[in-house]
Amino acid sequence: MAGISEGQTGGLDWWERSLFIALPAIALGLVLWKLLLLELPLRASWSWIPALGIDLVFHIDGLSALMLLMITGVGTAVFVYAGGYLAGHPGQRRLYVLLSLFMAAMIGSVTADHLIVLFMFWEATSVLSFLLVGFDHERAESRRSAQQALMITGAGGLALLGGFILLGQTTGTYVISEIVVVLPGLSATPQLTAALVLILIGAFTKSAQFPFHFWLPNAMAAPTPVSAYLHSATMVKLGVYLLARLDPGFGEWPLWELALKGAGSITAAWGMVLALRERDLKRILAWSTVATLGTLVTLVGLRGEGATVAVGTLLLAHALYKAPLFFVAGNIDHGTGTRIIDRLGNLRHAMPWTAAAALLAGASMAGMPLSFGYIVKDVILEAKSAGDVFALAKAANTVFGAVAVAVAGVAAVRVFWRHPGVNVTCEAHEGSPALFVPPLILALVGITLGVFPFFAQELIAGATGAMTSGAEAVAFSLALDFGPALGSLLATLAIGAVVYLTWDPLHAVFERTASRVGRVGMAAQFERLLLLIPLVAAVATRALQNGRLPTYVALAVGSVAFVLGAAFASGWTDLSWPAMGGPAGGGLLGACALIVIGALAVLLQRNRFVLLLAAGLVGYGSGLLFLFTGAPDVAYTQFTVETVFVIVVASVLLSLKRLGRPNCLDEPLWRPGAFILATVFGIVITALLLVATAGSFDTDLSQFFAENSVPEAYGRNVVNVILVDFRALDTLGEITVVLLSLLAALPVLQALRRARNQEGEAR
Amino acid sequence: MRSQTVILDIAARPLYWLILAASVWVLLRGHNEPGGGFIAGLVAVSASILWAVAHDSAEARRRLPLRDPLRLATAGVMLAALSGLPALLLGNAYLTHLWATLGLGITELKVSTVLVFDLGVYLCVWGALAGYALALLSLDDDAEHPGGWQ
Repeated sequence: MAGISEGQTGGLDWWERSLFIALPAIALGLVLWKLLLLELPLRASWSWIPALGIDLVFHIDGLSALMLLMITGVGTAVFVYAGGYLAGHPGQRRLYVLLSLFMAAMIGSVTADHLIVLFMFWEATSVLSFLLVGFDHERAESRRSAQQALMITGAGGLALLGGFILLGQTTGTYVISEIVVVLPGLSATPQLTAALVLILIGAFTKSAQFPFHFWLPNAMAAPTPVSAYLHSATMVKLGVYLLARLDPGFGEWPLWELALKGAGSITAAWGMVLALRERDLKRILAWSTVATLGTLVTLVGLRGEGATVAVGTLLLAHALYKAPLFFVAGNIDHGTGTRIIDRLGNLRHAMPWTAAAALLAGASMAGMPLSFGYIVKDVILEAKSAGDVFALAKAANTVFGAVAVAVAGVAAVRVFWRHPGVNVTCEAHEGSPALFVPPLILALVGITLGVFPFFAQELIAGATGAMTSGAEAVAFSLALDFGPALGSLLATLAIGAVVYLTWDPLHAVFERTASRVGRVGMAAQFERLLLLIPLVAAVATRALQNGRLPTYVALAVGSVAFVLGAAFASGWTDLSWPAMGGPAGGGLLGACALIVIGALAVLLQRNRFVLLLAAGLVGYGSGLLFLFTGAPDVAYTQFTVETVFVIVVASVLLSLKRLGRPNCLDEPLWRPGAFILATVFGIVITALLLVATAGSFDTDLSQFFAENSVPEAYGRNVVNVILVDFRALDTLGEITVVLLSLLAALPVLQALRRARNQEGEAR
Repeated sequence: MRSQTVILDIAARPLYWLILAASVWVLLRGHNEPGGGFIAGLVAVSASILWAVAHDSAEARRRLPLRDPLRLATAGVMLAALSGLPALLLGNAYLTHLWATLGLGITELKVSTVLVFDLGVYLCVWGALAGYALALLSLDDDAEHPGGWQ
């Protein structure tokens, strides 16, 4: 993104900002308008790469519509918020451009109905996430976090591509809506199982599921708008989205169910436990996001309609309470300069609006009655009591619910109401309206949906319909009902309150344990793995790239001889000396004599200039050979290349001589190793030539070109006609490579000359 | 590389143009006789090298079309890429070559996008290889000639 110029003046003008904000706002309006007017699902399709069967197929059903609403709705809030958060920041335009691209990629991801198209957008979100996490690229921590996020999601992306291709090849179609119809009828072949595992890896890395969970909290190095958008509301939900999308197809597979419920439950419980270890408000929220993602994955893995309803409801509710809480954390950071909860407290006087937003969002997160979070709790409870839920999922849900209450308490109550021992918040202040209006509105929407859940009912019903295999409508109603949920709520509230009150002692216990056990977490293992890479690379480089040309030549010649020799040894065919077609002409003999004389001279000489001329003799001899065997084009090329080569190398040798380098080789003339290598190479190449000439020559192609050269391409020189006409695209590629190689070589040569000049001055 | 030989200096003047003329001839006959853009480009490179040996590489670089090897090679690639576009306009596949015959009274001249393509190859090879060769030759240029490199 270096190409995007950053204005000298700092931030953006208000009208530029408005233009950027208009993007998600218009998109949101469009989504709402289409949702109200049009019957879902919508389909659109364009032909893209017909040769590979890749079409741009887009399909918007209830699930896509839910995701679209979140992407554009939270997106609008984030774009407004970014205007205030980075006011005057020189990189604001870059942030807006990246965020806009990201939104486009997200919209593409959740509407694409073709596996490859989906993958393309999926990768785009990974790359944009890398750029956004590393937004503060001057901080080493940002760069490291960005790299970690990219490596994990990028590796997952590769696995995903493999899984997609396997899935597409096995089912015979790449269109997702067709795959989920076909899949249940197929038996569990190894290919399908492999596809399933690879897709799971891809989805788990994206949605930060155990054991790939650790990149998400580290990604909090990103600016707050990015964290709120990518790492809570949208991108990390892509993995959940993909799982939910494929659930109708894979749902009955035991492996699928086990992996989803297992990894999801572990992530949900472990994420919440790790949240207790943190003191940074944003990282606490990040861990609770990880835990929510785990719960979502578990719910996708559960059978039954109730679970599906719960997935849709939790997706929506989480976006509506977690994004505002991230905004709140950002506001606190903005207003006080810190996010460490020990140094915060009693902020309600200084930041009343932020406090209000935090309270509303926190209530929803804790699942208080009259908030959308309460409805979610109700639905999840129903889902888990209905299905054959194993104990782990139930326990995970309890931990998740309780710590969610505690986290909500820390984010919404502790920093705003508690009187801290050390108060460093004397300069705390509320930011501009752009900072507190977006979280307030999002949180208010959450509360409104809690009081009037039927607003969301149609949306959730649509999403549920998309996630169930059958076409029948799912009958359910989101209603404010003080049934069994209230009892369970009281229990979680009680445990959560205890956790909240004992947050500091619990944290101390964790720290003590962690310091005793040492760093054994996944993040530490990953870092160790990363440290190994440069070590291995250094060892390999020292061994292979030692800067001595003889080593390189020996390696190249040796490996060619080895590979070819191994090929011959495995499939040894009878080698016969080709029949000579009569006595060779004088020209041919002369050419061969030139080559032999040149080769012998090379063996005996030690002066570099004479060596060069002798090697040139071999080249000219081959040129003559081509000329007399009926390949004048090749001969021409050989002659000119040889001439240019000899002149250029001679001039380089001259300059070496002027630098006072010895003119003679420093290696001894007789080297047994080199002799053996050369002999073996000669034998292998001779054998190769014999094999090549022994087989009957397939004349189909040359005949085709000979016959069609004049009638179709109006040229009698077949070589040239092939180059410029029949295979013109290849030639275009080749000359582009020639140009690019010059582009790469020029700086090196330039540096060489600069070093040479400096050396000259020093002398 | 500074040449002090007067003979080479004098001989290089006509030879340079002679070699270039030969390279154009090789380029033009390429479609029916041995030759073509690749070989013609290589021949042209030898003209540039001759000039670099006789005078110096900075001057040889300045004598190139567009006065810069990189620009020359880029122009060549672009020319070759553009030669495929007319076919697209006519609804054919990219790089399907078009032919036309111009009557010139006594004889007729065949013109085609093939020639444009081959010209692109010629310019690219000339520019790129001259770029390599002149850069290597100028390794020896001293700091006294700061114009020697870019």
